Amino acid sequence: MSENTIGKKSLEWVDSRFPVVDLFERHLSKYYSPSNINIWYLFGFLLLIVLVMQILTGLWLMMNYTNTAEGAFSSIEYIMRDVDYGWLIRYMHAGGASAFFALIYLHMFRGMMYGSYQKPRELIWVGGWFVYVLLCAEGFTGYVLPWGQMSFWAAQVIISLVGSIPYFGEDLAIWIRGDYIVSGITLSRLFAFHVVLLPILIIAVVFFHILALHEIGSNNPDGIDVKKHTDQDGVPLDAKPFFPYDITHDFYALGVFLIIFCSVIFFFPEGGGYIIEYVNYEPANPLSTPAHIVPSWYYTPFYAMLRAIDFPLFGLTAKFLGFVVMAAGIAIFAALPWLDRSPVKSIKYKGIYSKAFLAGFVISFFVLAYLGSVPPTETKNMLAKVFTFIYFAYFLLMPIYTKFEKCKPVPERVGDPA
Amino acid sequence: MECDNFKADVSDKASLQRGLSTYMNYCYGCHSLKYSRYKRVAEDLLIPLEMYENNLIYDGSKIGELMEISLTKEDAIEWLGAYPPDLTLEARLRRPDWIYTYLRNYYPDSSRPYGVNNRVYQNVNMPHVLEDMQNNLSEIQYDQVIYDLTNFMTYVADPSAEQRKRIGTYVLLFLIIFTAFAYMTYREFKKDLK
Repeated sequence: MSENTIGKKSLEWVDSRFPVVDLFERHLSKYYSPSNINIWYLFGFLLLIVLVMQILTGLWLMMNYTNTAEGAFSSIEYIMRDVDYGWLIRYMHAGGASAFFALIYLHMFRGMMYGSYQKPRELIWVGGWFVYVLLCAEGFTGYVLPWGQMSFWAAQVIISLVGSIPYFGEDLAIWIRGDYIVSGITLSRLFAFHVVLLPILIIAVVFFHILALHEIGSNNPDGIDVKKHTDQDGVPLDAKPFFPYDITHDFYALGVFLIIFCSVIFFFPEGGGYIIEYVNYEPANPLSTPAHIVPSWYYTPFYAMLRAIDFPLFGLTAKFLGFVVMAAGIAIFAALPWLDRSPVKSIKYKGIYSKAFLAGFVISFFVLAYLGSVPPTETKNMLAKVFTFIYFAYFLLMPIYTKFEKCKPVPERVGDPA
Repeated sequence: MECDNFKADVSDKASLQRGLSTYMNYCYGCHSLKYSRYKRVAEDLLIPLEMYENNLIYDGSKIGELMEISLTKEDAIEWLGAYPPDLTLEARLRRPDWIYTYLRNYYPDSSRPYGVNNRVYQNVNMPHVLEDMQNNLSEIQYDQVIYDLTNFMTYVADPSAEQRKRIGTYVLLFLIIFTAFAYMTYREFKKDLK
């Protein structure tokens, strides 16, 4: 058994210089997760896989992409036609962006449903929220790079929002664009953000997010603190080691996810215009505005909020107020740990008001997503106002309804009758 | 108006070849396919390279070059009032249904400079370049010409579509097997926890 000895010796050699065994145990084989976690707990792992996929496909795209206004559009077509399997890499990257957002919304909803943001997981939640904000910026900057009509006009609309800030907005917008309108200068700086700054920040904050999680451990659908009941070695009784029990579950989930993902990128790579918008097959033209400027589907709820605010107030323009409301719609997630005053975590044991407001939030998110993707009408604008109100009511009334509603008692241990 | 239904079949090489021939003879004078290469089209459409070079390259370009046209922007604006757009990606931009319907919906209109107008694209600048053909062919024959042309444009907008679907089938087969094994592993470990 000489190989075994060599293997053992090598491990010892490394381990006395770098804590490989300790890291493996602490984060995998002796990292415990509650025994009652369900399929809502699979999305974190899938998000990590998608992050790696985006970095790798992005790296290969970058090898053939040209970050100039003259060359960007045709370099994408060069990748699609002349680079071996360039089409595959690009569809993986474009489809990966949509998958990233679909998964992160599910992942965030899990946290909202089971109160995973509550004490002592506030920093895990805030870190995750920051990843989401960075991802929004990453998605936006990436969307501009193909330099099609929608790339150009989306950039023009979004950056012009900054221009609505009173006093210094216009100067700030010019500083951000580096030009009076979106131009090749803007393109190349957004490219730099997209491939260097934002990915580094995303990786760093994801690292923080996971490190914080592994300090506290996962929440669970019942919101039970599994660390309260341990055996004589301090191992939680209602838990199981991540390796091999969760990792095998995660790989099964990965298989299912990849079947769905590959069905899309190989057979419907444009996703009916939701993954790659048709208008973006026309090169950017600053002299011709497309009939409808629509953001990617994952921003449409916030775009609907922006458009819903169509009235000036207190001497501030409608555009600026819409921008503030839109930004608040994203920012307010970070405040959740301090808005929730409920003694219980999970929606299972919260009262009727929490359930009703969470349902209201989900419905308003979907309705706003729809409204943000279609041309506005009078009725639709009215609806957008109503659902923006319901969306914010979930957050802003939370300190009141979570404090006064009647909750059910949480079981002491997993499997106990409630 | 509603577009007529068009179902592309990019595996029908004969149709793509006929479409290419119509495109090169009637459209290519003004509309480049500048993101595509002659050689790629020849190979994908199963046309011998030499035959392609001798018959379908008019300006002495090499077969590996991009399908650009000789019409310059300045001349086009002077002669036609506008620069005819590149059409490589037209089928992805406007969708094949639109092209198929558009090319079959020119009608006489003496108020327009070329005496024709279009039901899909009101007051379009483009003359009806296939007018003679439409007059000399039966409706069914003309529709077939436009079908082939649209089919070719669908191909050239997304030349990897066939390869993509072929590879995709194998990828999905592999993933189904992978997922089955992953599921069995998961189930086996889950038994420990009972």
